Amino acid sequence: MHEFVEAFKFIGHNGAVSGQSGLPTLSHLALETLRVGAIGVAISIAIAVPLGVWLGHIHRGSFLAINVGNIGRALPSLAVLAIGDAFLGLGLTVVEVALVILAVPPIVTNAYLGVDGVDRDLVDAARGMGMSEGEVLRRVELPLALPLIFAGIRTAAVFVISTTTIASLAGFSGSLGDIIANETSYHFSGVLGAAICVAALALAVEGTLALAQRALTPRGLRAGRESNAKLSVAASANA
Amino acid sequence: MPGTRWSRLRTAGGRAAALFAVSALSVGLAACGSSSSSSSSSSSASSTSTSPASGPGAGKPAVTIGDKNFPEENILGELYAQALQAKGYKINLKPNVGSSEIIYKALQSGQIDMYPEYTGVFLSAVAQQTKLPKSAEEAYKQAKAFAESKGYTMLAYTPFFDSDALAVLPSYATEHKLTSIADLKPLGKKVTLGAAPEFATRFEGLLGLKKEYGVDPTFKPIAIELAYKALESKQVDTQDVFTTDGQLLGDKFKLLSDPKHVFGFQNVAPIVKKSVLSAEGPAFAETVDKVSKLLTIPAIQQMNKAVTIDKQSATSVAAQFLKANGLV
Amino acid sequence: MMLAAAGPVIPDYSAHSSRCVVENRFFCGEWVSHNWGSVLWPALRQHVMLTAIAVAIGFVIAMALALAAHRYRTLERPTLLVTTFLYTIPSLALFELLVAPVGANIYAAEIALVSYTLLILFRNILTGLREVPAEVLDAAEGMGMTRRQALLRVELPLALPAIVAGLRIAVVTIIALATIVYTIYDRGLGVPIHTALGEGPFKTELIAAGGLTVLLALGADGLLVLAQRALTPWTRARAS
Repeated sequence: MHEFVEAFKFIGHNGAVSGQSGLPTLSHLALETLRVGAIGVAISIAIAVPLGVWLGHIHRGSFLAINVGNIGRALPSLAVLAIGDAFLGLGLTVVEVALVILAVPPIVTNAYLGVDGVDRDLVDAARGMGMSEGEVLRRVELPLALPLIFAGIRTAAVFVISTTTIASLAGFSGSLGDIIANETSYHFSGVLGAAICVAALALAVEGTLALAQRALTPRGLRAGRESNAKLSVAASANA
Repeated sequence: MPGTRWSRLRTAGGRAAALFAVSALSVGLAACGSSSSSSSSSSSASSTSTSPASGPGAGKPAVTIGDKNFPEENILGELYAQALQAKGYKINLKPNVGSSEIIYKALQSGQIDMYPEYTGVFLSAVAQQTKLPKSAEEAYKQAKAFAESKGYTMLAYTPFFDSDALAVLPSYATEHKLTSIADLKPLGKKVTLGAAPEFATRFEGLLGLKKEYGVDPTFKPIAIELAYKALESKQVDTQDVFTTDGQLLGDKFKLLSDPKHVFGFQNVAPIVKKSVLSAEGPAFAETVDKVSKLLTIPAIQQMNKAVTIDKQSATSVAAQFLKANGLV
Repeated sequence: MMLAAAGPVIPDYSAHSSRCVVENRFFCGEWVSHNWGSVLWPALRQHVMLTAIAVAIGFVIAMALALAAHRYRTLERPTLLVTTFLYTIPSLALFELLVAPVGANIYAAEIALVSYTLLILFRNILTGLREVPAEVLDAAEGMGMTRRQALLRVELPLALPAIVAGLRIAVVTIIALATIVYTIYDRGLGVPIHTALGEGPFKTELIAAGGLTVLLALGADGLLVLAQRALTPWTRARAS
């Protein structure tokens, strides 16, 4: 328990270590982690949501959409980062590429399942009302698929924060992982303090996105269905 | 599932049951720790080879040797461990424990009994001494005295020394007319210096450079393993390296001289618990000293090169060396 | 005392030197075959052990939790909350958080890995149990089965596909995550990845160790598919 007391002192001092100057502050590294992660998630959303939604809309490529998720899960973050480092050199660009490779699969899979799973009768009814394909997508399929799309983004965001910290092990510097990888300078209290911050950051991101997801979910779909949807995705994603 | 008799039971329970589930989870987690312990002991210490039943070490208590997290230390760990095993000692080797600060803590907490240490680093990082010794002998004596005051001792030190050094690309040296570390001073913060993170806070690092040479560069933390890459890719202008690195065998890099000996005298001496030494008998120290005595600069440079450039394992590089010198 | 340089015999290490390795080319098969027994195979075996222990313990805990939540619905939300909480903590952080109370050892490694299996397995087992049609249960009850008999003979077998689906996700996830174990405990395929990072990075070793991790994940996944087919012949019959 003593170690946790010291770790919270470290957090209270914003990452200052006695007798050492020139180390980046804890809040700076936390913001950097968020920045690096946010760029990765934003790029992944830009690639994966349109792809997954489109595949779901045309009800094609289920094999691709689902298996890309499985393969993504099998990729160890550290190996992806290390191989990226070996062939392209370390740096923000390579880290972002690795983040995108790891974050795209869950978003594609969930976006696909979300749109593909929209009740066909509803879609037919919308077409029958004279809606164009674009309108069907925008006004029927997307709103109904939103909870699942968001679930994918949540999974990806947490995954991205985790990977951003792991990037420090592959030699990238500029995240809270720097502290965890540098016990020598920060001592164990610093490592533990940083680990607490990383955990808090991930939980805060997860919580914020969960709230945002609720706010964006059409009222008729709320209450209970969300968790059922999540349950069935876990079951079907690997089917 | 309405309609079945048992389904009604499902609505019973409530809060108490939730609490129960959570505590069951924690009990389960604690239990998993103990249930997996048996497998940990059986798979531990993969580098422990089958030791001969005879020899001066037969029947003596097991000794755990640790080493730090870079190739030269891995080689040293293997050399001492294999030479002792050949004499019948039961040795567990724990490679890659961490830097001086961390491995010394492991020694204090009893996780390891012995590790190869650099005399100068030990004085500055562990003994927190800022006064520079004047010679290798003096550095060793001071380090040994400090170790002995803590219940440890240092065995004989190696002929080779491996100090930190600042390397630059030859083109950069020509451009700025650099031969010694002192020549970096006029460049001020324009110089980017790469080194392992702990360099920032060590006397044999930024603190000493500033105090002795007035050099105060922009610091960039670079993992030990990426040192030469950072220099080659010009991420840094000058990089902290080790004088025994295999990479320095060609002329791709140039070392800046250190006339004030900021980087100190860095011969290796194994630090070992006094109690362990007396329990193991005199043949233990003799065996270790025999190995240390053979470790000249060319010997360690070639072994470093075999590991870092030819990618042979530290285990086999050490085994070949000991075999060639009749120690196994 | 200063030891006199005794003029050691330095073996000719370059005899075993390979140009492919020295130049750090894309992939040097020769290095892999040379170091398979001493480096890669032990790491692979340790990786399998780390994963097997974690999934086995995780499965037992998740099964108990899912059966409890199946019986007492109110348990579902708190269990989901706790397991999601554990699942959300990034691996590098969770390993370090456990080092403080547990130490840098296999216990910390396994507790962290087990905690990542719980959400996945709990969700899937519960889904599987819930998807058993009510009519089937009514029929079982009508045949005079006790609650326990119905669970063992009807509900669990019918939930098997969903359970195996959960196991597959858990196994693949843990195999990927176990590469981080080396940061606190010197075991698994993370060890050669770490060594390779320390040597340049050394591409052959990175690709070999990273590739083995992915192959292990895909291989384990394939085995579970086969196991499921063998255990649930009725699903295959329906599918064909």
